[in-house]
Amino acid sequence: MSNNLLVLSAAGMLVTAFLMVGQKALFTAIRLYGAQSWLLGVVAVTIALADDRPPLFVTAALTAGLKGLLIPWFLMRVVDRIGIRREIEPFLNVPASLLICLALTVVGYRVSTGFPEGARGVAHHVIGVGLSMLLIGLFLMVTRKKAVTQILALLTVENAVFLIALGITSGMPLVVELGISFDVLLAVLVLGILVHRIVDRFESMDVSRLSQLKG
Amino acid sequence: MAVYLTAAAASLVLARRPRLCRVAAFGGAILGSALVVALAVSVLAGGPVSGRLGAHAASGMTFGYAVTPLAAWFLLVLGLVAVPVALYSIGYLAHAVPGAKTAMVGASFNVLLAAVALVFAAADVVTFLFAWEVMTLSTAALVATEHEIRSTRRAAYMYLVMSHVGTGALLAGFLVLASASGSLSFEAVLAGNVVSGWWRDALFVLFFLGFGVKAGVIPLHVWLPEAHPAAPSSISALMSAVLIKAGIYGLFRVCAFGLGVPDVNWGLAVMAVGALSAILGVLYALAQSDVKRLLAYSTIENAGIILLGLGAGMTASALGHRELAAIGIAASLFHVLNHALFKGLLFLSAGSVVMATGTRHIEELGGLIRGMPWTALFFLVGALAVSGLPPLNGFASEWLTFQALLMGFASLPGVTRMSFPLAGALLAMTSALVAACFVKAFGTAFLAFPRGRAATDAHESPAVMLVPQGLLAALCIGVGLFPGAVLRTIGTVMVSLPGLRLPRDAPQATFTMAPGPAGFDHVVPLALGLTLMAGLLGAALLAAARAARRVPTWGCGGELGAATEYTGTAFSKPLMMIFKTVLRPTREVEALADVSPYFPREVRYRTAIEPVFERYLYGPLTSGVLGAANRLKVVQAGSLHAYLAYVLVLGVGLLIWLGGKR
Amino acid sequence: MTEGALAAIGLAVLQAAGMLALAPLLRGLIKKMKAALQTRQGPPLLQVYYDLAKWLRKEPVRSDTASWLYVAGPRMYFATSVAATTLVPVWMAAAPLEAAGGVLALVGILALGRFFLATAALDTGSPFGGMGASREMTIAALAEPALMLGLFTAALSAGSLNLGALVRGLLDRGATFHPSDILALAGLFIVVIAETGRVPVDNPATHLELTMIHEAMVLEYSGPDLALVEWASAVKELLYLTLLADLFAPIGLATSASPELILLAVPIWASKIFLLAVAVTLVESTNAKLRLFRVPDLMAVSLGLGFLALAIRFL
Repeated sequence: MSNNLLVLSAAGMLVTAFLMVGQKALFTAIRLYGAQSWLLGVVAVTIALADDRPPLFVTAALTAGLKGLLIPWFLMRVVDRIGIRREIEPFLNVPASLLICLALTVVGYRVSTGFPEGARGVAHHVIGVGLSMLLIGLFLMVTRKKAVTQILALLTVENAVFLIALGITSGMPLVVELGISFDVLLAVLVLGILVHRIVDRFESMDVSRLSQLKG
Repeated sequence: MAVYLTAAAASLVLARRPRLCRVAAFGGAILGSALVVALAVSVLAGGPVSGRLGAHAASGMTFGYAVTPLAAWFLLVLGLVAVPVALYSIGYLAHAVPGAKTAMVGASFNVLLAAVALVFAAADVVTFLFAWEVMTLSTAALVATEHEIRSTRRAAYMYLVMSHVGTGALLAGFLVLASASGSLSFEAVLAGNVVSGWWRDALFVLFFLGFGVKAGVIPLHVWLPEAHPAAPSSISALMSAVLIKAGIYGLFRVCAFGLGVPDVNWGLAVMAVGALSAILGVLYALAQSDVKRLLAYSTIENAGIILLGLGAGMTASALGHRELAAIGIAASLFHVLNHALFKGLLFLSAGSVVMATGTRHIEELGGLIRGMPWTALFFLVGALAVSGLPPLNGFASEWLTFQALLMGFASLPGVTRMSFPLAGALLAMTSALVAACFVKAFGTAFLAFPRGRAATDAHESPAVMLVPQGLLAALCIGVGLFPGAVLRTIGTVMVSLPGLRLPRDAPQATFTMAPGPAGFDHVVPLALGLTLMAGLLGAALLAAARAARRVPTWGCGGELGAATEYTGTAFSKPLMMIFKTVLRPTREVEALADVSPYFPREVRYRTAIEPVFERYLYGPLTSGVLGAANRLKVVQAGSLHAYLAYVLVLGVGLLIWLGGKR
Repeated sequence: MTEGALAAIGLAVLQAAGMLALAPLLRGLIKKMKAALQTRQGPPLLQVYYDLAKWLRKEPVRSDTASWLYVAGPRMYFATSVAATTLVPVWMAAAPLEAAGGVLALVGILALGRFFLATAALDTGSPFGGMGASREMTIAALAEPALMLGLFTAALSAGSLNLGALVRGLLDRGATFHPSDILALAGLFIVVIAETGRVPVDNPATHLELTMIHEAMVLEYSGPDLALVEWASAVKELLYLTLLADLFAPIGLATSASPELILLAVPIWASKIFLLAVAVTLVESTNAKLRLFRVPDLMAVSLGLGFLALAIRFL
């Protein structure tokens, strides 16, 4: 049962990452990120229950609360303020991006089969999903132009790292996790302010315009 | 065979009396084709037949024929299509071709049939190549029937050039094989152990090119959409249904079973080319508004589907899965028959339309279902069959192709197998696109308002043209409902081919199709058909309450007519836009306005797709060849002394070489 | 005719009748839930039944440019939807007519209905019909490969392309999930959204001609003709949701024809369908309709998910 739930939510996270690549509306992307974080929370809770590791409950609560609610809410506010709703034409069109992400996922999955199987026998699925999401997140950062999408991509990478950590070691020490969580929150706040600044300056949040800053 | 030649001769003799000439020529063709069917059936039921046509005493060469079961299958296809096509021609050519040309067409028609039959039946290289060339030439003559038109001449020329490049490749391949085996008979040449190593790969490429040209696979297809529409419709039907199959036959005979156990890469290459041809063929077909060009591109698409099955079979055979290989090959052979049936039907129906309206352009037609109800019905049957919809025959063979691809995935090892479901997805997309394409063709040409006088005044074709269409339509339905019977026949072909084994527990019923272990999948089209009938009955009962009232279509207050109805171009526009990376559509909109640009008096709209292969592959190729020829002009200076000097140098060189060998 | 065949036919008739009877309820349910999310009252749950009953009693009005195909279209569409129900396991772990064909036959039958309806739409000469038919065929061409890939993934992991055998294979395997199941489910869900004409691909409630796809195609139909089309669409929708439930949560299907098991299976099936209906409603309510030329991107996502499901399952 717990295995099924693990696999289900991990794969669900991969689906959200894919959907993020597949569309351009910023609100939907943020919502997808929220859903992804909730699924990560489910993964953490499942492991906490199955392995009897109470600290993971805290992690799960943090994940769901911070990344599932607070950050999406904040990002939506940012998007609402600056009034830009969709990603402009990215560097690559959607089918091409999907094709690349497909290849990335296959790569991620292939690599994951090399990891030692945990006690549960599903670790490599979790790690495979994590690695694939990591690659997809990096790919998103490379190809998207809007600052908000870049933040979302970064957050996806962060979720992926978290998932991999859960897959390999059943979670990091609590202190580390707390630290990371607040780091992320802080980063998002800073980035949110930065986005405002960029929009103020350029009347656009197209980060490819940042190259105009050089002397 | 003799009947064909007699009929050809009779056609020429009776050249002065077109009517008699038609009856003699095509009557002869019908008789000959019926005999071919009989021969094929007897071979499939009994065993191979072979014999000798003649011998050349001085060189000791013999020319023979040998009807193997594989050849018999292709002969059966030939005969089944040729009978209705010949019958149709009697009526069609009376209107389509002026009397003076009838003799020529009739003769070429018979020669073509004889040549194709001989291609299938040839037992040695010389006979094969001779028949192959006669086939090419007689087709060229038929394509050029309306040689007053410039584009027709161009089409025939292009066909000849492409065919000769192909024949060149074949000749080279056969020469290598013949010199390596020291014999000219197919039995020795195609024994499979003649050459090895990279020679085998090189030969595969040569033969694939040579036969691929005839089969019309992308990127060797360029002649096909030019030549098919240029020929008279009954000839197009024959070309699409039979001539293309000569190329396919070659691929079977030589590439798949003549060079030993195929290499995995060959199979994958054939699959890749097949998938490419299928998807691009249908995309190009969608862009056409000339009904015969549309059908020609659809022929490319179907050649692609045939190659998908063949490629899957070859890959499986290379990996030692003999039962799986049999399924792929069976799917391919089945589609050969089905494509011949429904494409023959579609071309004949299109011919009736062209004859009745004088145009091939579907945007000038419309509403023909009222004037030509039978033709419309037959075209609809053909359209359903080509779209692979149950319970017609196209569904049966596409179903089997899917089985080959999926079972291939299930039982092959490694990364290779990922190409199988990918090909399956492409095949699914192809058949959905074909459906879109034929909804467009049928809807635009036969439904709603007529778009011009030609379409308004259209009237039904004579019975002599309708009966053959009905015959082919009945065959489409019959084969679709009883695929098991056809598969049994294909089974006898299978056991004669090396490297195949019939799946052990495949049910041998008349109604059912099931490849391999029956648990995997099976289908009973007849049951599907009966269920549909039951559903129709239910619908009829539910909706039978009241009689209908007839009113004009509501046009939002405006008047609807030919100018407001949806055109075929508009129909396929969304797909054109979606696949714009491939098709590269261009468009020009020109608005002629008097007062304000928002109220144009007349809008001209022109749209075209870029011929990618013609421009980017054949363009540089042609200019390269021409450039090389220009440079070679230096050698060919036109001076007699220079030529004599060449001869002298060559002679001396030869003598020295021969002397050195001693 | 053997006794087994007769029993199969009997079951097929029962199942088809059951699906026909329940399909309008699903439509009504989704409408009601959508209304609730928009804090509206919404039409009564049974409104779809009232509509069908009314249309069936009305006089059909047909265009005088239309031919026999126009009349044949809805009938064929209805017949294909009904025939399709007999190929899918709904309450039992066996399809009544599974001996007649599997997944490919199902897809083929549905495509046949679409072909006829699209052709019939061109018959009146109204530009709306043409536009709808064109878009419907376009989207179908994009959805079909994704549908096939999703189905293949399930079929290959169960070792059969026959829906009955497939479901039994899944039941034997027991309740262990593989990530590819989720990917395939997500891919197929997108296809189902597209094939049933729901937001964000199409909007079943719109009557603004330029945004319509399916509705534009059947715009000219009235009376019993319209009833057949709408009813068949409802059956198709229920069928697709049932298919999703079968492939990814086959638990609860009656493994034998005993009445108790079937009585147990029906509520389980109903709750699965209800969950899926909630998902459809949520997607409809939270998304805006996509531009027609954004739909290919969505279908590409679906195709990608399907292919990925195959890849990570079997690589």
